[in-house]
Amino acid sequence: MTSLMGNHSGTIGYSFSEPTSANVKQHSFYPYTDNGGSTLGITGADFAILAGDTRSTSGYNINSRMVPKVFKIGGDDETGEGANIILSVVGFAADGNALKEKLDTMVRMYKYQHGKSMSVGACAQRLSTILYEKRFFPYYVHAILAGLDEEGVGALYSYDPVGSYEREQCRAAGAASSLIMPFLDNQVNSKNQYIPGSGEGHALVPKKAEPLDKETATKLVKDAFTSAVERHIEVGDGLQLVIVTREGIEEVFHALKQD
Amino acid sequence: MDKLVAQYSRPPHQNEMYSEQEQQDLTASVPPLSLKFSLPPVDNRSAFLRAMTDDHSNPSCPIKLAHGTTTLAFRFQGGIIVCTDSRATAGNWIASQTVKKVIPVSRLSRGEDKKTNEPTPGLLGTMAGGAADCQYWLRYLSQQCTLHEIRHKRRITVAAASKILANLTYAYKGYGLSMGTMLAGMTPQEGPALYYIDSDGTRLPGNLFCVGSGQTFAYGVLDAEYKYELTEEEALNLGRRAILAAMHRDAYSGGFINLYHVKEEGWVHHGFDDMNPIFWDTKLQKGEFSNVTSAL
Amino acid sequence: MNHFPEAWGRPRNDVYGAYDHSYLQTSGPKAHTSSPAVTGTSVVGVKFNGGVAIATDNLASYGSLARFSDVKRLRNFGDKAMVGFGGDVSDMQYLDRLLDSMDIKENYSHHGNMLNAKNLHTYLAKVFYKRRSEFNPLWNHVLVAGFDGQGEPFLSSADLLGTTFSAPHLATGFGAHLAVPILRRKFPEGTPLEQVSKEDAVEALKECLKVLFYRDARSADKYSIAVITKDGIDLKEDEQIQGQSWAFAERIRGYGAQTA
Repeated sequence: MTSLMGNHSGTIGYSFSEPTSANVKQHSFYPYTDNGGSTLGITGADFAILAGDTRSTSGYNINSRMVPKVFKIGGDDETGEGANIILSVVGFAADGNALKEKLDTMVRMYKYQHGKSMSVGACAQRLSTILYEKRFFPYYVHAILAGLDEEGVGALYSYDPVGSYEREQCRAAGAASSLIMPFLDNQVNSKNQYIPGSGEGHALVPKKAEPLDKETATKLVKDAFTSAVERHIEVGDGLQLVIVTREGIEEVFHALKQD
Repeated sequence: MDKLVAQYSRPPHQNEMYSEQEQQDLTASVPPLSLKFSLPPVDNRSAFLRAMTDDHSNPSCPIKLAHGTTTLAFRFQGGIIVCTDSRATAGNWIASQTVKKVIPVSRLSRGEDKKTNEPTPGLLGTMAGGAADCQYWLRYLSQQCTLHEIRHKRRITVAAASKILANLTYAYKGYGLSMGTMLAGMTPQEGPALYYIDSDGTRLPGNLFCVGSGQTFAYGVLDAEYKYELTEEEALNLGRRAILAAMHRDAYSGGFINLYHVKEEGWVHHGFDDMNPIFWDTKLQKGEFSNVTSAL
Repeated sequence: MNHFPEAWGRPRNDVYGAYDHSYLQTSGPKAHTSSPAVTGTSVVGVKFNGGVAIATDNLASYGSLARFSDVKRLRNFGDKAMVGFGGDVSDMQYLDRLLDSMDIKENYSHHGNMLNAKNLHTYLAKVFYKRRSEFNPLWNHVLVAGFDGQGEPFLSSADLLGTTFSAPHLATGFGAHLAVPILRRKFPEGTPLEQVSKEDAVEALKECLKVLFYRDARSADKYSIAVITKDGIDLKEDEQIQGQSWAFAERIRGYGAQTA
């Protein structure tokens, strides 16, 4: 710890010393880029869905129309067979890949060393730590992790770039998150919905959020993406839907508009 | 001769694979919460980090971190009240309205979702500033507190726990951490104890603290009504009312009111309640917030 | 840490110095370790039924100067794969040495070089990502062409940041703007690979190179083209763009000394 202090005291001025001016320009290298795209997750009583579009962009260019953003974590081989946790990453794709590989390796090592699969809760905490280890040179990604918890209930954890996390019912991330999240608040968490005829003005009774079934949730995901594609240039081409249930992981692709 | 050749020739390329250390880190089964952080290889790291993440100086900075906002805690004759809002913002975007900004610290209280209403022994920490900073370091702190319990066969004092945290934040001073946290707990040695610790390394004991961008609004309400002799009921209501005022006036605060009471036997959770009905109750039943119109 | 409500929790100028926007700029003063000097322009590649074709021109520019007109920017990895390099030429040569030594090492092992184009691409992407994380990037954008583990045609891209993506047809640099639309028109996405013949693919690449030569001021009309099939790599390094027609230049208005 002391070495950490010693390391840095030279470069930082405190209020009682001269303020440090901006350094002489040395690095023109900018280590990040944004590959666009959006991801979204919804959970229910016995399932968890993660979805992402498959477009990869740089600036106004479309790099490719088929770059998946949702990955299986802790599978037995490179196809992801045998996994029960899924991860979506959106932001800088190279950081996302590095993060995915690191988590995947660690979940697999856990399985080899403990003889059992990692719980999604433990994996969620591990991912938080991995992200925080790069607190001072962050991964430029928004991650969402999903699976089934010990009771078999859908579990979804969302992260900021440096690892703060929270378990939620649903979450949208990436370029179109500001378009999708308000829709999910309303449709999944029943925000600003009231029971008709339950009262007048302030006496109106808010509608309680009920867990969705798988079919409804899948429909919401598709609606969210088809709508986001209409209004965001970085979203489109294909929709990757990955659904975790007790039976395992199911992955389907749907077409989105290619314009 | 070989030595000379080795000295003056270099391989056509460097080793571009993972170092042995990195490979070991990957395969370690139970890695501790590490103090090894990868740093950007630039001269002025904190300036780099700031350029990437300071959403106040540059609203269009590329990496926006989740920030927490209004938190308060105060001591009174019946223990300590801890109350927070639940909003996290990344720039102007509300990243979450359901953040748990009161974090139980120490092993015994790990069962956060315990169903019973029994008080849970242990300390409470609050979260303002960088959400990840608070979560990570309070987790690190609970690890240290648990080790303390195992080594010394008794629970750590709030003074000692807060000092661990303050020493840490001081060691990382200038790196760009952002946290303002309060530690509250009751131990046989100290009675009710409350400390404020922030990312500058400040550590202060005290009766009453408000932390975060909504702190001034909370102080306004709290200072007007606070006295040490408050009853439990009055104290809980005052904590709730102060946070409500901050949620109303501070754009970066809002969501749910998260209320805790720390007693001798441990802490008790008094609800995670939507601010909206509470606000209208406060206005319509008690006639406060009279500047707000109730017409719809 | 700032304690004032409006900037609560953010860094203070008197402690950290003023907010430094220069970290976010990608242009500006350049250090030699972090920006290219002698560079190659676009690389284009197309998958076809039974293989992959990839092409680059033979020019290495020094800024706007056409400095070296006979630089081969397609490099082979054993007889398994081709790598097309855009960007810095010295970094290309470094990577070529790196890949050669890997090829030699693999060939000394008892199983021989088992690495396919997909493995090679994964490796290159990791090297790029490692170097960008050290702020010491290899200033290239490459296309890797060959076959994957299942024996399917493989074409994928990796750049100096470690970003990777794959598509039936790809182009780097200026080609991303000029060649990709041509290729997307000729072989719309979703076209089964069986319907793209080797001849069509090669023809398309030649057209792309021609258009690039017309419009990319850092390109040349001497080019290399490689066709990778199960039979091996067919590499031609001294090709010349045929059938050039500059008639379109007549119709360009708005530049130079025209009066109309």
